[in-house]
Amino acid sequence: MQKASKIYLDHVSTSAIDEEVLATYTRLLKDYYNSDALYEDGVTVYRNQEKSRTLIAEMLGVKYEEIIFTSGASEANNLVIKGLSLLHQGGHIISSSYEHSSVDEALKQVAKYLGIKVTYLNPKKDGSIDPLDVKNALRDDTFLVTIMMVNNEIGAINDISAIHKVIKDNAKALFHSDMTQALGKCEICLKDVDMASFSAHKIHGVKGSGFLYKRKHIEIAPLISAGQQEFHLRGGTSNSPANIVLAKTIRKALKERETYGSYMQDLHSYALEQLAKIPDVTINSPKDGVFGLINISTPVKTEVMINALDLHGIMVSGKSTCGSREDEPSHTLKAMHIDSEYALRISFDHTMTKEKIDIFIKYLKETIDRYAR
Amino acid sequence: MQDNTYDYILCRFGELTTKGKNRKDFINRLLINIKERLKTFSGLTYEKTHDAIYIHLNGEDYEKVCARLHTVYGLSNYSGAIRCSRDIEEVKKKALLLASKRDYQTFKVNARRSDKNYPLDSDTINRTVAAHILKNSSLKVDVHRPDLMIYIIVKEDRIYLLDEKVVAIGGYPVGINGKALIMMSGGIDSPVAASMMMKRGLKIECLHFASMPYTSKQALDKVLTLIKKLTAYQSEIKIHVVPFTDLQLAIYDHTDESYAITILRRMMYRIADIICNRRHIMTIANGESIGQVASQTPESLTVIGSCAKHLIIRPLACLDKIEIIDMAKELDTYETSILPYEDCCTIFSPKNPVTKPHEDKCLYYESKFDYAALIEDCVANIETITISSDDIDEEDDLF
Repeated sequence: MQKASKIYLDHVSTSAIDEEVLATYTRLLKDYYNSDALYEDGVTVYRNQEKSRTLIAEMLGVKYEEIIFTSGASEANNLVIKGLSLLHQGGHIISSSYEHSSVDEALKQVAKYLGIKVTYLNPKKDGSIDPLDVKNALRDDTFLVTIMMVNNEIGAINDISAIHKVIKDNAKALFHSDMTQALGKCEICLKDVDMASFSAHKIHGVKGSGFLYKRKHIEIAPLISAGQQEFHLRGGTSNSPANIVLAKTIRKALKERETYGSYMQDLHSYALEQLAKIPDVTINSPKDGVFGLINISTPVKTEVMINALDLHGIMVSGKSTCGSREDEPSHTLKAMHIDSEYALRISFDHTMTKEKIDIFIKYLKETIDRYAR
Repeated sequence: MQDNTYDYILCRFGELTTKGKNRKDFINRLLINIKERLKTFSGLTYEKTHDAIYIHLNGEDYEKVCARLHTVYGLSNYSGAIRCSRDIEEVKKKALLLASKRDYQTFKVNARRSDKNYPLDSDTINRTVAAHILKNSSLKVDVHRPDLMIYIIVKEDRIYLLDEKVVAIGGYPVGINGKALIMMSGGIDSPVAASMMMKRGLKIECLHFASMPYTSKQALDKVLTLIKKLTAYQSEIKIHVVPFTDLQLAIYDHTDESYAITILRRMMYRIADIICNRRHIMTIANGESIGQVASQTPESLTVIGSCAKHLIIRPLACLDKIEIIDMAKELDTYETSILPYEDCCTIFSPKNPVTKPHEDKCLYYESKFDYAALIEDCVANIETITISSDDIDEEDDLF
């Protein structure tokens, strides 16, 4: 009952599943056959899965065999970092200090167990990573640079093309980018990277689904060693229903950007204007950040604010949801010199309206007035 | 973004113009084929003159219609056209529009009057229109090699402005030269051969030999997928699927291994011959290319081909494999063709197939079993499937 009046402002944490995607996925779940089976029904599943792979490759302007289905971007990030580190057994990686935990933790592990050296670059004031810093950090033994395209906590957009250029001009290192938050919001150009990670559930798709783009000739060690699936890069029976419906999910996300791009920009500006009118609110997101994601600081502690808004059916988050139950302060915000104890992240998609934003602003103000100390 | 510059597409015939008294049939067939290919664009109307077909766009998307025109054999080239009144001011205005459309540096105006009573002569039209473009854009005139040539055609009641000529796929309209039976294995070659036959104006039917369970259902599906791709050029294609297993097993039981493929191919041609008679088809065609495999040496082709009374055309006979692959890619059949399913020629393939077979030896092996009865069985059990470009893949809504 209450659900209808709820306001979902945590879109970048995960998105509502698209009705058509859900219907197709539900239908596909009934085709339980193993996609590697040789009888007709198995082959049909296989054919559809490979058609999905082909379509995804076409939509992103890459080759069919460069799309590797995974359980999501976290797995794709791990596959890149650990898969390459296993081959190198030493050497150097460059990353940023505000990557998603799946990059951050994987880097810690390869440093600890494989002796890989890691350089973490801090963002500039505007929240982006300076390509010059990347250039200066490159070493002879740097084999990987991994820098996200859109930061998931403040929405800063990195100049992937410029970073790619300094790497290719100065070193042999491969360039990987976690593009999870960029898909459906920014123009994606995979020519600018060697590898990129994506998740379905951030673009109205199903959970446990995503893919890695990996340029054809890059060798990488699998993390799950088993059968022939995913070009021997990810063993285990394929999650075919999710893999098949991923093409539709991405197609609709790209279309959504086309259809609602300017609406989202307008809504984003409107939300910024309204927030700027509240004296005690500081906007942490850069001016030219991704639309639909705004990070702010208020005089009320994050946890209190989340609880207070939740009582009114408004769902927001503090730091990245993946670290929400840990005491550690957000490393993104730390990197940006923002006190994460008072930070709030609001994010939305095209189903958001000005009216709903007004309601959020109203309760935000009320909570500040009542609980700011 | 839809391009709304053009009112018409002017289609030219190319080879058809050489065809004297049959011209009318050619043009009629081409118009039928064009209409068939474009039938999903419900707004289009057509006008036929002695030297061209005009497609009136009526608001349909120019680019999309053109993309489809590139699958019509017999169409030599076409131009986007704007229709104007005979008012020179309107012609000037619309010519400027054409000139500003893309990033051209140079242009030339080429007027032709089919109505000689028009008050301005061709040269005056050229100069008037060119002057207007020069004055209102940064383009320069280049009479030798212009980036853009604007053709102006003056008719009794209207004037056409034509954009540059776009080269189409040429050839003859499918159907004007009768029918061909294509032996279709599922490999790279046969779809290319099929397209070349269509380009020469032959309407195709296909013949496929299935040896289940030695060949799989997927192998047949692959052939059907290939034919579906060919329906981009001929809207409806029939395929006759021959159950070949028993005959094939009999061949292996009664002939020396080295001759097995030779005899197998001879049986295929015999069956093709029967289908041609039944379906009133004049020509047999396939993807054989000289020297490609043992059964395609000149000696083999002679011995194998002697079993058929109908004309045999091997469009790929003199092409390199690499050329054939390029054509298959162009045709969008390559990726399907290389799917790794066994076909009836690859199962039980002999270690040392004969490259210079003798006909007497073939006759000797063939005398050892009653192949005629087996052929009769094959033909009696043929399954004919019609594939149409309209067939929609029911799984398409998954994506």
